[in-house]
Amino acid sequence: MSEYIVEMRHITKRFPGIVANDDVSISIRKGEVYALLGENGAGKSTLMSMLFGMYEPDSGEILINGKPVVFHSSNDATAQSIGMVHQHFKLVDTYTVAENIVLGIEPLKKKFGFLPWVDMKKANNEIAELSRKFGLEVNPTDLISDLQVSVRQRVEILKMLYRKAEILIFDEPTAVLTPQEIDFLLDIIDGLRKDGKTIILITHKIMEIKRIADRCAILRRGKLIDVRNVADTSVQEMADLMVGHTVNFNQQKNKANFREEILTVDHLTVKNENNFEVVKDVSFKVHGGEIFAVTGVSGNGQTEIADAITGMLKIASGTVKLEGKDITEASVRERALSGISYIPEDRHGVGMVLDFTLRDNLSLREYFKEPFSRNGILNPDQFQKYSEELIERYDIRSGQGPATIVRSMSGGNQQKAIIGREIEEKSKLIIFVQPTRGLDIGAIENVHKQILQERDNGAAILLISLELDEIMALSDTIGIIYRGELLKITPAGELTSHEVGRYMMGVKDA
Amino acid sequence: MKKFLAQRLDGRYSAFWASVLAIILTLITASLLLLVMGKDPVVAFQSFLQGCGFLPKANYGGGSGMLSDLFDFLNYLAPLLLASLAFIAGFKTGLFNIGISGQMLFSGFLATVFIGYNKSMSAAIAKPLVILIGLASGCLLGALIGFLKYRFNIHEVVSTIMINYIISYLTGFFINNNYVDMMTRTSRICTAAARLTWTNVKIGGVNCKVPLGIVIAVLIAFVVQFLFDKTSFGFELKAVGLNSRCAKYFGVNVGKSVVLSMAISGALAGLAGVCYYLGYTNTIIPKTLAGMGYDSISVALLGSASPIGAILASVIVSIFQQGANYMSSRVGVAKEIASLITGIMLLYAACGNYMRIVAHSYLQKELDKTSSREGKER
Ligand SMILES: Nc1ncnc2c1ncn2[C@@H]1O[C@H](COP(=O)(O)OP(=O)(O)OP(=O)(O)O)[C@@H](O)[C@H]1O
Ligand SMILES: [Mg+2]
Repeated sequence: MSEYIVEMRHITKRFPGIVANDDVSISIRKGEVYALLGENGAGKSTLMSMLFGMYEPDSGEILINGKPVVFHSSNDATAQSIGMVHQHFKLVDTYTVAENIVLGIEPLKKKFGFLPWVDMKKANNEIAELSRKFGLEVNPTDLISDLQVSVRQRVEILKMLYRKAEILIFDEPTAVLTPQEIDFLLDIIDGLRKDGKTIILITHKIMEIKRIADRCAILRRGKLIDVRNVADTSVQEMADLMVGHTVNFNQQKNKANFREEILTVDHLTVKNENNFEVVKDVSFKVHGGEIFAVTGVSGNGQTEIADAITGMLKIASGTVKLEGKDITEASVRERALSGISYIPEDRHGVGMVLDFTLRDNLSLREYFKEPFSRNGILNPDQFQKYSEELIERYDIRSGQGPATIVRSMSGGNQQKAIIGREIEEKSKLIIFVQPTRGLDIGAIENVHKQILQERDNGAAILLISLELDEIMALSDTIGIIYRGELLKITPAGELTSHEVGRYMMGVKDA
Repeated sequence: MKKFLAQRLDGRYSAFWASVLAIILTLITASLLLLVMGKDPVVAFQSFLQGCGFLPKANYGGGSGMLSDLFDFLNYLAPLLLASLAFIAGFKTGLFNIGISGQMLFSGFLATVFIGYNKSMSAAIAKPLVILIGLASGCLLGALIGFLKYRFNIHEVVSTIMINYIISYLTGFFINNNYVDMMTRTSRICTAAARLTWTNVKIGGVNCKVPLGIVIAVLIAFVVQFLFDKTSFGFELKAVGLNSRCAKYFGVNVGKSVVLSMAISGALAGLAGVCYYLGYTNTIIPKTLAGMGYDSISVALLGSASPIGAILASVIVSIFQQGANYMSSRVGVAKEIASLITGIMLLYAACGNYMRIVAHSYLQKELDKTSSREGKER
């Protein structure tokens, strides 16, 4: 037996215009938590996709338990007890939890003695058993579409465990979770390690690596920079290694200078399709030069507030005013033109057209205006010029520049593209929902700088985030939402993050 | 050979090469079929071409010749090209309009009844009116389908199938009651003034049927290409087709786009209808939908949903469909083989994406082999 359960030797992987992995070698011991750290587009997902058989390396070899293996598909990897939870989940929405988990390896029984039949009852029992064993609470018969992200993630984990995976790969599992859920997940991972599983964890949050990982490999622009023992390496050191220069954790924040009122939300109520009030009688104001942060546990109505203001959701009652002008009934386009920019939560589903080029995606706010088009006829030169500018200004990295199909870009760079496109509009009101989800710390530093800069230039900022640190670092005013109601609005300095956390749980007088 | 194909399929012109490959595979499959039936495939393919006026026949009847065959071919090509453009217009917006044959019948029927049977109208008035009715009736029907989808969330595939039946029986009922020709059991023929094809035009000593529709169809192919490539409206429609939530997010009125796109698709189908029923056939068989409406989907896919590609693809499908009669009389195979061949072609064309993936992974392996060889030499 080899000392290492997984060895990847001299792995190189090229995509058109880019070397995603350049001669990368890593070795992972059985039973350890091995972290991968690196900037957006450094090649972490690509490296793990090869270990999971989704791509084949251009050169280099992979050894499992000391034996060389070649994976042609993820089925081959599954057969070697490797499992992966992807950055973007891969579940069938209209199937139940159990159906998703057993998909492809359904337990069969013979109906009437001969008809092969999927034994759902057995599957349900097995999954209930498994979820008890690892503390991953799910109800096997729930539909995926009814579940929150954190539960969907548990389903993904169970999917691996059901396939008897020994090597578990997590690609940015905490990016979509709330702080409480992150704690919970890290405990689960710890439990899995105690159970003898080997875990590979991709994350941008160094604190999580500090807390859970044994060793950490650092990638930069496709190359392996270093492998460190987590216990002997400081947070600052890791951050600097990853970015390649010294990272400044504390943003320089000027004193806020509130100007005229820009956004006025009055008694806003929004209902979902089941006629349930997801936002209840919410009122607040945002001034120019102010960052108003709405925080709360995920799913308490904060994204619906953003959608209602931008016109994506119908308003049931109440009014929304921009600079005193009533826009409650205005169309999405009219609102955008009157000065609203919006970075939505779901970048794949809402923020971009994945099969369009980066050039087209960067021009989504402009294509219908001169000089992008005249009398309805597009001007491709302008698209090209504009996208080149934005790529440069917002450091958007991709294989083929403006002509890259967005689907092939790394998650973090997709997010940078959306943020760049929206900030570039120079709107009076900019709504950020989870702006730094999935970004590396260098990029987060940049986005925070940009948010503060827009504030100082006089824009009104509505920031909706689950990251308490982000809220505490940036906001001038905090609104805490619980079950669709704004429980408290207060100047940022007056609450500690502990108190904010208590309000988020619905405690009225913390 | 394998590498040659793989390179072609992987690169920038892969859509074109996937179609070429689909055609070649179809020819091979069809040849095998013919061989099994004991027929000579070379003679058969030759006679398809002869039937369409691309190659000379052994002998011609009085007043006809290669040129008149070629014009007959164009008479068939025009509505087929228009119908496939109709499909493409919807497809780019993510809509699957399989009701083209119904829309064709609807517009063909209205134009026949209102203009085609009006004996007092001069050609200068009748022909433009026929085109107008074709466009308008198809447009309304398409808009209705779009509206049903947008307002009541009825999928266009379901509504078009239903509407196909309704139109087929409704027009069949009226034709049998009011407009039937007792001899042929089809609708009475239209006036020459209304017909979109000039008959008995003497060109080079033979009598030709000159279709107005082919000029319109080719023009419209370029218009549709321009619409989707070069206009902001086309940009919006494509975005709606690929991700309607994102389109809504950046300010597109998604409902309006769906209705408009279906209206355009319907209008083109309507135009195809008048070119077919008031040009190619000049009569309507009651309660029968034109197979052309479905062939148009093969054409669109074979042309990889590009309007210019559809011009080439419709030529190929037309050769089989239009040449089938002559081929059948010469080789002695039932002319339905043309539809069979079109069907096989659709199958291969639909596999285009798969072939591209195979080509890509093949090239990837080749690359791996050479790079590992280089590695060893080093
Ligand atoms: N299928 C693909 N086709 C073309 N290029 C790709 C493909 N997948 C990834 N890339 C490119 O390879 C590079 C590495 O991407 P990868 O997704 O591995 O980054 P990452 O380290 O996971 O980044 P992030 O933290 O943003 O998720 C990126 O520049 C990306 O654009
Ligand atoms: Mg990634």
